[in-house]
Amino acid sequence: MLESPEKIIMTTCASHCGGTCVLKVHIKEGIIIRIETDDGEEPQLRACLKGRAYRQRVYAPDRLIYPMKRVGNRGEGEFKRITWEEVFDTVARELIRVRDTYGPESILFLFHPGDMPQIHTPKQIHKLLCRAGGCTVPWGVASYQGGVYASLVTYGTWRTSHSRDDLPNSRLIIMWAWNPASTVTGTNTCWYLAQAKEAGAKIIAVDPQYTNTAATFASQWIPILPGTDAAMLIAMAYVMIKEGIYDQNFLDTFTIGFDRYKDYVLGIEDGIPKTPAWAEPITGVPASTIEALAMEYATTKPAALMAGPSPGRTAYGEQYHRAAMVLAAMTGNVGIHGGGGGGRTWESSTWYPYRMKFGLVLDDPNPVEQVAVKGGIPSIYVRTAVHYVDLPEFILKGKTGGFPRDCKLIYLVNCNYVNQFPNTNKITKALQKPEFIVVHEQFMTPTAKFADIILPITTFLERNDIDLGVGTPFYGFVRKAIEPVGECKSPLEIARELASRMGIADFEDVTEEKLLREEVKGSEILDYDEFQKKGIYRIKLEKPYVAFKKEIEDPTTHPFSTPSGKIEIYSQQWAELSDEKLPPIPKYIETWESRNDPLAKKYPLQLLSFHLNRRTHTQFDNIPWLRELEPQAIMINSVDAEVRGINDGEMVKVFNDRGVVIIPAKVTERIMPGVVSIPQGAWYNPDENGVDRGGCANVLTKDQKSPGGAFPYNTCLVQVIKI
Amino acid sequence: MQLAFYFNQTRCIGCYTCVIACKDWNNLPSGPASWRRVITIEKGKFSNVSVAFLSMGCFHCTNPPCMAACPTNAITKRGEDGIVIVDKEICLGKDKCGMICKDACPYDAPQFEDRFDAKMQKCNMCFDRWIERKKPICVDSCLTRALDAGPLQEIQAIYGDIREAKGFLYSPKVRPSVVFKPK
Repeated sequence: MLESPEKIIMTTCASHCGGTCVLKVHIKEGIIIRIETDDGEEPQLRACLKGRAYRQRVYAPDRLIYPMKRVGNRGEGEFKRITWEEVFDTVARELIRVRDTYGPESILFLFHPGDMPQIHTPKQIHKLLCRAGGCTVPWGVASYQGGVYASLVTYGTWRTSHSRDDLPNSRLIIMWAWNPASTVTGTNTCWYLAQAKEAGAKIIAVDPQYTNTAATFASQWIPILPGTDAAMLIAMAYVMIKEGIYDQNFLDTFTIGFDRYKDYVLGIEDGIPKTPAWAEPITGVPASTIEALAMEYATTKPAALMAGPSPGRTAYGEQYHRAAMVLAAMTGNVGIHGGGGGGRTWESSTWYPYRMKFGLVLDDPNPVEQVAVKGGIPSIYVRTAVHYVDLPEFILKGKTGGFPRDCKLIYLVNCNYVNQFPNTNKITKALQKPEFIVVHEQFMTPTAKFADIILPITTFLERNDIDLGVGTPFYGFVRKAIEPVGECKSPLEIARELASRMGIADFEDVTEEKLLREEVKGSEILDYDEFQKKGIYRIKLEKPYVAFKKEIEDPTTHPFSTPSGKIEIYSQQWAELSDEKLPPIPKYIETWESRNDPLAKKYPLQLLSFHLNRRTHTQFDNIPWLRELEPQAIMINSVDAEVRGINDGEMVKVFNDRGVVIIPAKVTERIMPGVVSIPQGAWYNPDENGVDRGGCANVLTKDQKSPGGAFPYNTCLVQVIKI
Repeated sequence: MQLAFYFNQTRCIGCYTCVIACKDWNNLPSGPASWRRVITIEKGKFSNVSVAFLSMGCFHCTNPPCMAACPTNAITKRGEDGIVIVDKEICLGKDKCGMICKDACPYDAPQFEDRFDAKMQKCNMCFDRWIERKKPICVDSCLTRALDAGPLQEIQAIYGDIREAKGFLYSPKVRPSVVFKPK
């Protein structure tokens, strides 16, 4: 008998891991049998372990492959199979009922990226809800809202990154809590870091944890206490001012407000000079180390301050990002090759030269008024009434809690809400309240268990789409490799079916193909069919892309997009808010739940939530190949373990007033004493007493947002004891 | 001719992509049998700590100790390229023979699934890929291009002849076919 031929489909990975990489999917008899990656010319766009393991995800025995409705209580996970007809009829009916009874504002559209392609994103359902009368859309990006805030205030844009191939042009790279070995943040990022190091760049890591990136590339590790990064950056500014080693010419030409900042740094404003000695007890970093790093950064050019987003995920985390950007300006490293503006480093696909039409830009007109928050500057995210961190309170209390509306229905897509937002135990209570909850999912996640109806969704290997390169500029065609598994449908198909039942005409002629062609119209891709055939369109840049290059080279023609046209060290917009927690210049503001909080007597350890590279947030946690690589465990320094009698691998109880997690301890020297860290993304798995056995960090985190919208995952006190 | 691996330990970020690419290419189920492994070597006390990663498959030794130990001659070394392979039909299985090959190997190359009388399996240096003029899947998967493979002499000519790395001791007796840039 003749063997059926094996064919290879070239596609790009649309997962949310931080890259967009080439996958060559081997198919036999309609089944994926292997996945290879780019083997063409360098720079190849090689996929990480998650892309390589995607076969196990597509065919996972626990994949949701038909629609279901809940039969047990919310959260119990008992469901029964239903038909798509019943799904569409029920969901359409409920959407109309809730809209007509309570108003469209009582429909909450709850989403996060999930995957990172352009067409099959939360945008489709958002559009549907908007056409049906509107919905409430919460604001805030969990990963980097602090960075968004700070970038918009300082530079007038959040597009602040260089392409990753610019890293080898740096002579000094300061990896400030930046860990691309785990978080990827652009295909090939670590490869370029390796090249930078081999070209002689000095690489220094500032981080409470000795991450894999630090271990591989850094010649020096400077451990710093969580939530104090702004203090160290401000003390570095002090050193540069005192030593007269900052770029006054740059500041005069391109910035406004440095004198106001200088007054604060030197203590003229408040009587407290922000010396390294001042910062030492706050940050846990010796004054001499702060001084040396400041000298090094000010005198080595070009230097890239890679300010990772995790210190921004603290209370007042916006200040850290602002302080980093000011330091980049003081050293004149903005807009030059090998330098960097100290902006947010999770640069997705929002930068030049792409012309984004779809993606996650939810720009469909929403008839429901999205009240601008106080201090909200116009941005695609900062404009709505309710912040993600406040959602449990909003869902529970609505108008009685001072919110502008109630929440009666939740339409939840691409988001493991229970697991990934602060205060899981409060979220699970809140999710008992709405009259109806719809969830799009691929697996029975902790969140899906709270759905009334679950709609099984295709993976990106089961539909066509487009990727925009992250870190390296290219368009990738996400080609459908296999037919949908089971009865899974794409978000676009679902939106179309619901639209037809709700009397919305806008989806009738909207096809995947039409959207894809529209996406590339006006881009560098002149021939869509050719692009589709080749699978990838690389954008050739003569030199690596550098943010703000034209603003620096030709400031008269190209002012910064701030109100003043300059880099705003001092922001008049924010001065007008008169909010001391959103100061017009970057300041160090001590967090709640810091080591000095009276609560620290009871809960003396600072908890961090970091990324393992075997997961993308909660995705892939259930994939056996990946799961067995590293156990879910809390990192604890040997000093803290010893006083608690904890040995490596033993089970410990991690707790505070918000919840209890029981997981193994990983006793290590790779984390500083006084700090513990749970890898985020493990699935919440409560026992009969409500104790989480899954290792979900958000059982412990606090649902209080930072004034600029940062999600304070890394501001959290806990105690750890042996059990 | 002897095929050999090269591993640049200064570039390895411990990401396990090689491990997963290997499992996918060779269709290995999840479980303890992993043809390629990445181990972490942590040394020192806070904050003077050093961490190195070591990616290991089989090093296809010149004098394979597994081959010498095997009671049924199930393990052989190919003449044309020096790849050490195991014949599952001949292998007795782990419970019948007691995994003598695993004990003999200083590098943990022989692997067994967790079931009664599981046969030995291990890295075969992707001999199926060499036929298509492709390098082993681990080499082609490495995100930082820390791995390479080729005829030993060519590998030595390109990368030098350092035979040890953090976590790896060269055995002059078995002569593993690997060259390093150690950390």
